[in-house]
Amino acid sequence: MMGAAISRWTMSYFAAALVFLIAAEGLMVAGYGFPAAPMEAPETLVLVHMVTIGWLSLLMCGALFQFVPVLVATPLRYPALVLPAFVLLLTGLGCLLGGFLQLAGSFDADLPLLAMAGVFLPSGFALAVWVIAVTLWAGRPLALPARFVAVGLFAVVVVAMLGASFAFVLSGTSPFDPLIELRPHILTIHVAIGFGGWLGFTAIGVSYRLLPMFMLSPESERSTAYWVWWCGSAALLLIALIVPATLLLAVGTGPVITVACLLAFLALGLYAADLTFFYRHRRRRTIELNSSAALGAFAMLYLAVLLFAALLLTGTLEQHVGALIHLIAFGWLTGLGLSQLYKIVPFLTWLECYGPVMGRQPTPRVQDMVVEKRDMPWFAVYFLGVLVCTAALLADQPTLFRILALMPLMATVAIVVELIGARRLSNIAAERRLPPGTMQPRLFLPPTLNWRRS
Amino acid sequence: MSTTTLLEDAICDALRLVIDPELGENLVDLGLIYDIAVGGDGGAYVEMTTTTRGCPATAYLRDAVQTAVWNVPGIHYVEVRLTYEPPWRPEMMDDAAKRHLGIPEKTERQA
Repeated sequence: MMGAAISRWTMSYFAAALVFLIAAEGLMVAGYGFPAAPMEAPETLVLVHMVTIGWLSLLMCGALFQFVPVLVATPLRYPALVLPAFVLLLTGLGCLLGGFLQLAGSFDADLPLLAMAGVFLPSGFALAVWVIAVTLWAGRPLALPARFVAVGLFAVVVVAMLGASFAFVLSGTSPFDPLIELRPHILTIHVAIGFGGWLGFTAIGVSYRLLPMFMLSPESERSTAYWVWWCGSAALLLIALIVPATLLLAVGTGPVITVACLLAFLALGLYAADLTFFYRHRRRRTIELNSSAALGAFAMLYLAVLLFAALLLTGTLEQHVGALIHLIAFGWLTGLGLSQLYKIVPFLTWLECYGPVMGRQPTPRVQDMVVEKRDMPWFAVYFLGVLVCTAALLADQPTLFRILALMPLMATVAIVVELIGARRLSNIAAERRLPPGTMQPRLFLPPTLNWRRS
Repeated sequence: MSTTTLLEDAICDALRLVIDPELGENLVDLGLIYDIAVGGDGGAYVEMTTTTRGCPATAYLRDAVQTAVWNVPGIHYVEVRLTYEPPWRPEMMDDAAKRHLGIPEKTERQA
């Protein structure tokens, strides 16, 4: 059973995700898509889905395959499906991006790529959801962080189904006319449930487990955390019910959205109280860079909440929704993702390389695999870059945005170079790097391609 | 000092070779070794835990403890039991580990 608890393909998910992140940031610097093109332009859709599926969803899936077993203290079920899910997701995303490029007129192929994406992507997500859901089911009764993940799984199912319906509509193969009429509502649900449910709610749930673990904060479940779950789940349910409410009850969407927003604000307020508790009551006074950099991501989350409230109150949400989404996607979710990868990649690399010889000879520490002092400024550059980019979007300055977008791009590349260094063990002194019995880990593939174990 | 006590001390020293990868300190100083007992026949019994239930390093840590104890001269048989009763708490670390991790040596619970 050695290494049974390491998800073999997680590093591959992470590697692909980081490639998409850097590519998307590079496209923003190159002036591709929003803000140079309108929000609904196919070029913008390419960019958006590179970030949401290519980067954030692959990152989330890879992380969940590794950490759901930690949340429920039971091994991952059906691990053989993790690789097929990865292949389907990559194929589906390739078709989706190709389909958008067809719409943009910059790519011509006699293939219904969007319709193919509408099949491959939901299939990939279905496999990933199945593996994680069955693992959660085996770990009942669920601890609170796992319940957040469970809601996140429902959310991704909704998002994937709606996304597939869009793909079929855009490809001209949808048999359902009402989908076209309801497109604005469905788009709202697709975006809100995607960011708020699948990516956001799941990240919040995992943070309830990882933050106390990394900082040695009290791990007991707080009543506020239960309220975060209830209020957040109710808000997501209301958003998901916008279309049925509109069709069946003939009520306007306004009241439903207002109640959902109030519940979401309440949930995020209580989450802020819990985050403050974890950081203030941590027993590890000197925290590692992953935990301190995560503070930047949480600050961005609450800046996004304030921005959302301000845009709502001033009636300018529609005008500045791009800036808001940029702050959520890059400030909060990407910031949190990069900060946690900074810990998770060295940790998994350490287990892979030194775990088998532990107890036989001295091993380096996980902390020896990165140089925090060298990397801390890059996280500062990253968050500062996202802030000024958001400001440029709010000020409607696309050229300035392109120039400023270099900051997060450079910082991301620097952090990724450090992660590659961790995989290469390059920060460990040569004489301690590979004791007898150890092997240099592969950059992003499992140590051995034993397909039967997957 | 009896032979079994000497062996228990030797096992304790051997287990200092095994570090918790997340915290970077050895299992003994972290308080993750709950019990070490040696029988007259050279059989060793070790009761251990991990900092968190379901930790991905659990299998490695258990195997490493088994190997480290097995390599102690005079030990012929090793049994390692993993337990979460009581669950590990940071207060269980010794003062050296607390200092390394920047944890106040007198925690609220102890004060």
